[in-house]
Amino acid sequence: MEELFNIDLDKISNSSNKEALDRKKNLELFFKKGLPNKKDESWKFTDFSLIINKNFKKIKNNHDFSFDEKIELIRDFDHNFIILVNGLLNSFDISFEDKSKVNIEKLNSLDDFKNQSSSNLNYLNKALSLGGFKIEIKENYKCKKPIIIYNYYSANLENKIINNSNKIKLNQNTELTLIEYNVDENSKFLKNTFETVEIAKDSVLKSISIQKSKSKGYFYKNISGSQGYNSNYQNYILTSGLRFNRVEIEMSLEKENSNCFIMSGLSLGEGEHQEIKTRINHLAPNCKSYQKIKNVLEKDSNGIYQGKIYVKDVAQKTDAYQLSKALILDDLAEFNAKPELEIYADDVKCSHGSTSGSIDKDAVHYLMTRGIQFTEAKKLLINGFLNEIFENMSEQKIKTFLEKSIEGQINGI
Amino acid sequence: MKSGELKYQDYKYGFTTDIENIKAPKGLSEETIKFISKIKNEPKWMLDWRLKAFNRLKVIKEPNWQKPKYPKIDYQDLYYYSAPKSMKDKPKSLDEVDPKLIETYNKLGIPLNEQKKLSGVAVDAVFDSVSVATTFKGELDKKGIIFCPISEAIQKHPDLVRKYLGSVIPITDHYFATLNSAVFTDGSFVYIPPNTRCPMELSTYFRINASETGQFERTLIIADKGSYVSYLEGCTAPMRDENQLHAANVELVALDDAEIKYSTVQNWYPGDKDGVGGIYNFVTKRGACRGKNSKISWTQVETGSAITWKYPSCILQGDNSVGEFYSIAITNNYQKADTGTKMIHLGKNTKSKIISKGISAGKADNTYRGLVDINSKAFNSRNYTQCDSLLMGNKCGAHTVPYIKNKNSSSTVEHEATTSKINEDQLFYCNQRGLNQEEAVSLIVNGFCKEVLQQLPMEFAVEAQKLVSISLEGSVG
Repeated sequence: MEELFNIDLDKISNSSNKEALDRKKNLELFFKKGLPNKKDESWKFTDFSLIINKNFKKIKNNHDFSFDEKIELIRDFDHNFIILVNGLLNSFDISFEDKSKVNIEKLNSLDDFKNQSSSNLNYLNKALSLGGFKIEIKENYKCKKPIIIYNYYSANLENKIINNSNKIKLNQNTELTLIEYNVDENSKFLKNTFETVEIAKDSVLKSISIQKSKSKGYFYKNISGSQGYNSNYQNYILTSGLRFNRVEIEMSLEKENSNCFIMSGLSLGEGEHQEIKTRINHLAPNCKSYQKIKNVLEKDSNGIYQGKIYVKDVAQKTDAYQLSKALILDDLAEFNAKPELEIYADDVKCSHGSTSGSIDKDAVHYLMTRGIQFTEAKKLLINGFLNEIFENMSEQKIKTFLEKSIEGQINGI
Repeated sequence: MKSGELKYQDYKYGFTTDIENIKAPKGLSEETIKFISKIKNEPKWMLDWRLKAFNRLKVIKEPNWQKPKYPKIDYQDLYYYSAPKSMKDKPKSLDEVDPKLIETYNKLGIPLNEQKKLSGVAVDAVFDSVSVATTFKGELDKKGIIFCPISEAIQKHPDLVRKYLGSVIPITDHYFATLNSAVFTDGSFVYIPPNTRCPMELSTYFRINASETGQFERTLIIADKGSYVSYLEGCTAPMRDENQLHAANVELVALDDAEIKYSTVQNWYPGDKDGVGGIYNFVTKRGACRGKNSKISWTQVETGSAITWKYPSCILQGDNSVGEFYSIAITNNYQKADTGTKMIHLGKNTKSKIISKGISAGKADNTYRGLVDINSKAFNSRNYTQCDSLLMGNKCGAHTVPYIKNKNSSSTVEHEATTSKINEDQLFYCNQRGLNQEEAVSLIVNGFCKEVLQQLPMEFAVEAQKLVSISLEGSVG
């Protein structure tokens, strides 16, 4: 394990001696456990250790956060923005909002992340994380425009690891749409992110992540959060084109009437690996969770969905649903699913469905009889298959933008 | 009648037969294995095979990933062989069998006397570690069908046993399968010759009687080309306040165009209503569809045992082979079940179907855990899985853990699962028509299980239906 990494802790500036010691301790814990492999139940379908060993040598921690390029901003709709360079907060512009209500700052202290799980990658993150950003929306304020996070990765990241940690907090009766937009200079790196989300009573958080172009990066992201009374969380994962991506989401519906939606539409090309692992904890009555995961798999790509719905005995009247659908277009492609239910309350409606198979030949035939070429027909069907994910999105401009990006990704297959 | 007045019905089969036993020395050791092998008069290859498994056992660990946890089993505090003394000299006919044993089976509703029997079912009765009697042997012999205790098959048909024993569940499999390979005592052996349709249902009835004893039976069924067999398995045990281990291995082999239908009604002692006692039912069941167009169908009704932990599986090797799994698992009081299936698709055009119904009541925990794996060479394969859970009360749990792997673009996998409780409207409707709460629940649950109950052979279906109602008695209200 230590051969794979070439970590230099001395380059990290610490606020206190204790922090330096904590980092050292966490790094030791990480080296002891190593990178996760299939023996770990939550990595059942992926040998992460093998994948990293095969593609990386002497991984260094990154210290370069220089940013001289002008980033090409999205022009399709008005928005505020935050620029992150290699995981760290660089600058932000929230000119559409009341600045006293929206607070964005650099996150330095790692003390806020004590509650995270004690997984191998969490140790690594605690040892090396240099922080990230923190967004807090003050009470009774609904953001007028979405905030786009431009996640910029520079060209000199080859064989490096980025560890960062973010925090999103929505106080009572607030609303925020966050769009994470990844811009990449095509270097091969590893990213390990931990994020906490707190959504208080009557608040709505919409989170969308999307990729500008294909990336050679290896991404791991862990999101854990809690929701208050009548709150709403929506997460759209649309990051097609990554070499490796694993998103873990653990949401706790702590108070009544809260809703959680996790939607994903991904089209995977050659050598790509996408994995979504969720755990929705229904801890109070009358909550709703809905997960819909769609994958289109080409060439030797690999799609994985591991979902879990946990319903505590007091969480009566829970309505929970998981659906995973995969279109497998090549015999080398692979789709694995583990939709799990753990239920201790009786008056609930919990179900899951999972299907995987090829594209509907009748539908292709139908389109071809109408004069549409085979490849066009296929693209049309894939487009329809994926677009369903954000069908119910209310902001028309964002929806159009997403449709356009998805179409671009499909054409890139 | 108010539902609160209902009383928990005692386990009907909880009596003990007072009979003198021969036991192997306590504990798991080479001596015990040699003792078993010697008392069974086994050839050397069999003993070597057992010892190989025993050596393997020394280096592997008990699995611990399952949901139901149990206190550590002291393998040195168990008897691995126990047989009624009267069976030592192998009675030639039923007249020589100890009347006490015959009475036991009569009491269980399994008459061993052929005249009295339900026609059309041949029974092999296994009492602790030995087979007591096998009925209808003569009639089966005429067709060339071999149906006998496995200990007898080892001596009379060593070639068949050597060829197939351990070919589906190798001795290097998991802990309990390896333990079974080392110390298995008795069980049934079935061989159906080519192009033969077995004229009657074959059945084995397992009974644990002695205390501090584990039952380790081994069943091997081979259906040669173009043959068909339907096999039933039933089990009971006395009520004791200790936990007893039952670790069986069942291997099925279906060659070209052959079909095996394997039905189980498992009614081991489930423990009392406070969760004391009961059987640990840790069973490995696996079938291999080796030939083209072969079919293996598992049907199980699991109502007993303190802990049930088993996954009857199908390895679909032959092209066009079919695997089916129908299951009802009912857990009440403190019972725990972690059961499901594995469907491994290797051949082309293979099909599998999984219907699982889980019912939890009281403080029980019921888990469906299953794997559907479609290999990259299994073109045009198809799987359909449906698992439904029913919860009664909010102190019990129902869990679903399916693993789905698809590596083939021409194959389709479908999975659906639901969890719900008994519909109030349906209950009300039944009550309105004069059915009391208990009857109404029984009716609805039987309806919920219908898809699986339909798969059971006639003789078993009626019994199973009753069992479903009895298992849930006292769980409403």
